[in-house]
Amino acid sequence: MNTENLEEKIIQFIASKVEDVDPATIDRSSTFETLGLDSMDRVQLLFDAEEIFDVTFDDDEAVKKFTCVGDIVDYISKTQSEEKPAEEE
Amino acid sequence: MRIVVTGMGVISSIGTSVEQFWHSAVNGKSGISKITCFDASGHRSQIAGEIADFDPKSFLSNKQIEQTDRFTQLALFAANEALNDCGDLGSYNAHRLAVCLGSGMGGFSTFESSASRKLQNKSVPPFTVPRTMANSAAAWIATQHALKGVNLTCSTACSSAANAIGMALDLMRTGKADAVVTGGVEACVLPLTISGFEALHALSTGFNDDPEHASRPFSTGRDGFVMGEGAGILVLENEEAAIKRGATIYAQLTGYGCTCDAAHIVAPDMDGQIAAMQAAINDANIAPNAVDYINAHATSTPLGDVVETNAIKQLFGDHAYKLAVSATKSMIGHTIGASAALGSIATIKALQTGTIHPTANLNEPDPECDLDYVPNKAQQRKIKTALCNAFGFGGNNATLVYTTP
Repeated sequence: MNTENLEEKIIQFIASKVEDVDPATIDRSSTFETLGLDSMDRVQLLFDAEEIFDVTFDDDEAVKKFTCVGDIVDYISKTQSEEKPAEEE
Repeated sequence: MRIVVTGMGVISSIGTSVEQFWHSAVNGKSGISKITCFDASGHRSQIAGEIADFDPKSFLSNKQIEQTDRFTQLALFAANEALNDCGDLGSYNAHRLAVCLGSGMGGFSTFESSASRKLQNKSVPPFTVPRTMANSAAAWIATQHALKGVNLTCSTACSSAANAIGMALDLMRTGKADAVVTGGVEACVLPLTISGFEALHALSTGFNDDPEHASRPFSTGRDGFVMGEGAGILVLENEEAAIKRGATIYAQLTGYGCTCDAAHIVAPDMDGQIAAMQAAINDANIAPNAVDYINAHATSTPLGDVVETNAIKQLFGDHAYKLAVSATKSMIGHTIGASAALGSIATIKALQTGTIHPTANLNEPDPECDLDYVPNKAQQRKIKTALCNAFGFGGNNATLVYTTP
């Protein structure tokens, strides 16, 4: 999956998780706060993202610093690109 | 102090409103069918009283659904009806509005699915604990309706709702609340609970191809209870305050008695049941022969129905043959921690309408069960005082007394 497609898919996924927010307004810079996601919502969001995007948010330090949609996109892209060489072996 | 019922709400396999539930109950309609929520083909008991058309999306957001177990969703559905039915409670201080709910198993569906993930070394959903905890339903009712007073959950297996309603009565009498949203809920038509009750040989297994006739309290051929799910909610208030705000009064809750057999963890005990009914009658300050109707616990187990019959006969003497007894479970199965809440609503409707719903599937009574169980056809009878019985694992016995307002 290229980065643009991935970003689109993650935004679509996040849009399905928020309430009272116009999905068209969500982009990389949208913060969890503006999306109305409290700390427990973020935990649930990442749990669901693990299933959908086949990723594990096990880098606690990095996850703690997440503030916006772009942070999740970057983490998933990075994890997936790191895994690729292994898959090709 | 007179404590009255001013609101009611129901979700059950025979109706998703009080009116629908009562209409079905009066007509002896069965809510028992083949289990559809999981593949039960490998189970000995393959039937249940499921709420087939329940859609939480009709009243909860995606996020709320994600954070709640089915038992909480059912409780919220019934609480919405009850709180809409009782009218505006805005005249009370929110810190004096209480919730007191019963549930035997709590969020067992969440427990089962999360445990299954854990055993497969998968991560566990973050809302596992707040969905599973027994007080989740009571907490959500409070949150949705800004009920900021006492918030309690009672878990005494199959008598949970009766104990919860009794505790709600105590909260009112002791001045700890001005109104209480009370009742019971259960949602455990699940592989693990069905297996667990099967292992105890407590469930009906001989009617998998004839589900509607499986729950047959007091009848010959009964072979165990049928699992059911649902919720029943009542709103209790002080009569004077209820009249002042113009509420409709359905019935008075006049007595509550409860005992523990202290004998066996699952077997019923006649003496404990008699003592609970006697305590409730004493609490209501009435004579036993004032009782016109008993909404029996009557789960359709071979032993339980005989023990309850004998308890009624022992306590009421000749009067046992004059009063009416009927079993709501003959139609909806055993809703465990919700059963006495649904039974209470059936009792209150009987007081209100002068119609006693029948015990379904009672063509040939067990010779050891020889009372008037209102077989198969509703009975018109002017009644003033009624009991609702609930007996649970752990040896818990609880009886509530309702009277016309």
